[in-house]
Amino acid sequence: MNQILVIAWREISRLRKRFGGNGSPIVALALMAALGFSAFNLRDSVSLGNGLYRVGVSGDVPVIEDSRFSIHEVTPEEGQALLAERSIDVLIVGATVFEREDDKSQFAVRALKQYMEVFELERVAASFDEGGAFPLRVGVNAVDGNPPKTSVEPQADVVVQTVKPEEVIIPSITPPPAPFTQVLITLIYILPITFISIFFTSSFMDEKANRRLTVLLSAPVTPFQIILGKMLPYALFSISTTALIAYFTNANVPLSLAIFVPTTLFVFAIYLLVPLFYRTFKDTTFISMLVTTLTTAYLVFPAMFTNSSDLAYISPLTLAVKMYRLEPFGWREYLLPSLPMTAIFGFAVFAGTRLLNEEFLMGYKPITRKIGDAIYLMMAHSQPWFAVLLWSFLVIPAVYMTQVVMLAFAANLPVGLIVGAVLVASAFIEELVKTVGIIVLAERNIVNSTKEILWLSFLSALGFLVGEKLLVLVSVSMVSEADVSAALFESGIFLLIPLAAHFIFVSIVNVLRIKLKAPYWLALVVGTIFHFVYNAAILQNGG
Amino acid sequence: MPFVAVIKKELFSVLRDRTIIISILIQFFIASFSSGLLLGVLSLYDADTILRYSGDSIRVGVVGSMDDPLPALMRERGLKVLSYPNLGSAQAAFYSGEVLAFFDAPRNANGLTEVKLYLPDQDTVSSLIRMVLQEPLKQYENFLRGQNGIEVRYTDLHGKPATSFEFVYSVLIPMLMFFPAFVAGSMSIDMITEEIESKTLQTLLSAPLTISRMIGAKITSAVILAVVQCMMWLALLHANGTVIQNKSLILLLSLIIAGIASTSAATVAAFLQDRERSQFIYSLTLLAGVGISTILKISPITTISRLAIGDAYTNIWNVLAYAGGFAVLYWILLRASHRLIK
Repeated sequence: MNQILVIAWREISRLRKRFGGNGSPIVALALMAALGFSAFNLRDSVSLGNGLYRVGVSGDVPVIEDSRFSIHEVTPEEGQALLAERSIDVLIVGATVFEREDDKSQFAVRALKQYMEVFELERVAASFDEGGAFPLRVGVNAVDGNPPKTSVEPQADVVVQTVKPEEVIIPSITPPPAPFTQVLITLIYILPITFISIFFTSSFMDEKANRRLTVLLSAPVTPFQIILGKMLPYALFSISTTALIAYFTNANVPLSLAIFVPTTLFVFAIYLLVPLFYRTFKDTTFISMLVTTLTTAYLVFPAMFTNSSDLAYISPLTLAVKMYRLEPFGWREYLLPSLPMTAIFGFAVFAGTRLLNEEFLMGYKPITRKIGDAIYLMMAHSQPWFAVLLWSFLVIPAVYMTQVVMLAFAANLPVGLIVGAVLVASAFIEELVKTVGIIVLAERNIVNSTKEILWLSFLSALGFLVGEKLLVLVSVSMVSEADVSAALFESGIFLLIPLAAHFIFVSIVNVLRIKLKAPYWLALVVGTIFHFVYNAAILQNGG
Repeated sequence: MPFVAVIKKELFSVLRDRTIIISILIQFFIASFSSGLLLGVLSLYDADTILRYSGDSIRVGVVGSMDDPLPALMRERGLKVLSYPNLGSAQAAFYSGEVLAFFDAPRNANGLTEVKLYLPDQDTVSSLIRMVLQEPLKQYENFLRGQNGIEVRYTDLHGKPATSFEFVYSVLIPMLMFFPAFVAGSMSIDMITEEIESKTLQTLLSAPLTISRMIGAKITSAVILAVVQCMMWLALLHANGTVIQNKSLILLLSLIIAGIASTSAATVAAFLQDRERSQFIYSLTLLAGVGISTILKISPITTISRLAIGDAYTNIWNVLAYAGGFAVLYWILLRASHRLIK
């Protein structure tokens, strides 16, 4: 523990030194101020479709202050001519609107309609009394879908049994429920975490570039202590930012911490792996960008579906959205996103302790070789049979998250292709992670005979299945509604069949690659085809 | 020609390291992710899309005559409206699944019109129904305003839902054209600081090459990569059936913006000389630059949107204005680059 604190303190002094002199703190502050200023100025005025439409106005027309429209003052005749030659999209003469039939003009009219509705509402509200301006009240009531047992016969005069207090709304000033604002608020939590973890990455890279890491590694500290020590200041900083944001947005601080600590650990886990794999500075830039994109996608996409689909719970942001809406959620809902994220963190720290050695860090090799080396280092800690079993078990959260990202990815394919594409991609990923450990061992001649290959294939299948079932145990009630996830996680099927299936697919890939010397990609494609057929069959029977 | 040699070396290393593939993957992912998001959002939160795909299956019960304004407005909107003589039979229809939601007859209370809406106690269904009822209820409100003698203007506007159109031209195309520029800036920093931090700069300068020509070569290679990516995106968008006007002007603008980004990035690197701080300051500069230029209404994002839709008032002069900015920045870089050999 003492060692960890010493390294953490050293990290803080390093940062202080780096950002201390040379005027760079002033520049950074000035830029942040400019950023804050422009964000504040643009918060309401920038919308989708900035500067797209040109509108001609003539006579008594409301002032149009919307970034989507550029306004041209014209006479009615000029306006008609400009409209006809497509220089403007809409012409407003007094209270009359002229449009063309083509799409662009029609889009402009719809955008104008949205603007005018709000404008007219403000005008009416300002110039008339409340009863006249807002003459309608709608009482919204929630009714339990199951009929009460007593009154089955329709009666003319009833009091409808409601389950929640009535909510009275005025339609024109009540926006329909949409979680965007809350999703945006929850994004504010993610941004600082990502920024801070980029500094964490930079710190590793900096020390790797000037070889101070080598010195550190030769000191009597373990890689585990180095990782935790370097991470500690950044992690504490991220967590305090989370607490501050929660405090300033009037959210429940302990609850926000409970939601975002696993997320913070997850983001740090990913950024711990980045500096271990980079070879040149350009690598880091690209890998960091990829990682940022993927994690943002993973976090934001599901949260958009809060209250629309239970699959939304795979993102912790959904929990945060619910927190801001003061809606309750239970343990299962909490564990579904948090458990895999924390597990990934554990896996990354384990990988980090195995990979943090001079030879691996400094070697310049193609990225695939480097990944192969990394996997070998992670497997080499014990006997092959145990390493293979543990590997398949531990990669489950990563597989699960990859599949979620792929689901988000596939969502914009034509509807008929979504399920198929996700099934193929998931099968491919599963076969890849289940076999790659054994392949790496075989390449280093640790595994040779067919008997050994089959035995390890069986263990890999077993480890994967156990991990998968544990995950299902947590999540089955949440995701079982979706057919796709049912096939992915194969719930509700007698356990021996999936075990046999996994074993067969893994063996096919391994034997093809190791014994028949087929290219790895080809072996994977064959395995994927078998796996896909199997999944599709389950989906057919289940649906 | 050492200048060309440096360009070749940088381009070759990008291809060899396969890093450019990651960059293209990111852009592809962002593009498809954001349009996937839009699709999800449209299907869940856009009343027009919901009605187009499932208007018939949304059945709403009303107590009273079908000719009252509210049922008429709901039918006009594309909903299926069933009428019941009293609240009891509407409730029975709700329990038997004949309707998904029902309205009681409107009542007059203190000069206000009150109407009760009954929805199932399921968030998913009730929020969907509330979304599709929003428009008819607003129209009904306007009708009641009219009865109070309050006229609301511009109520007869319709148009077509513009979300998709606005997304493609104001978000997707600018993003695909400018992301490569942003990457070009980051790459310039990497290329320059890597030479400094691995102490290879002096060696490189022993070749017949001045420091400004060396930096110029690095920026040129970053810009070449950016423009190639932009061309690829334009071709893909074209193949996808997206109509884009003024393609050559768009490419020219992308080239200038990539030049501006790389030049600013190289200037930052010349001052700070290490990757960690340079990348941080560069990202902040970029974000602040986008914000400020949007406030000043000289945003290249808007220019590119307008070029792509074929706006009648946007032409080559709007593009060349940015070239002026590029020239000024490049001049500053030339002054600053000598800091590197001190």
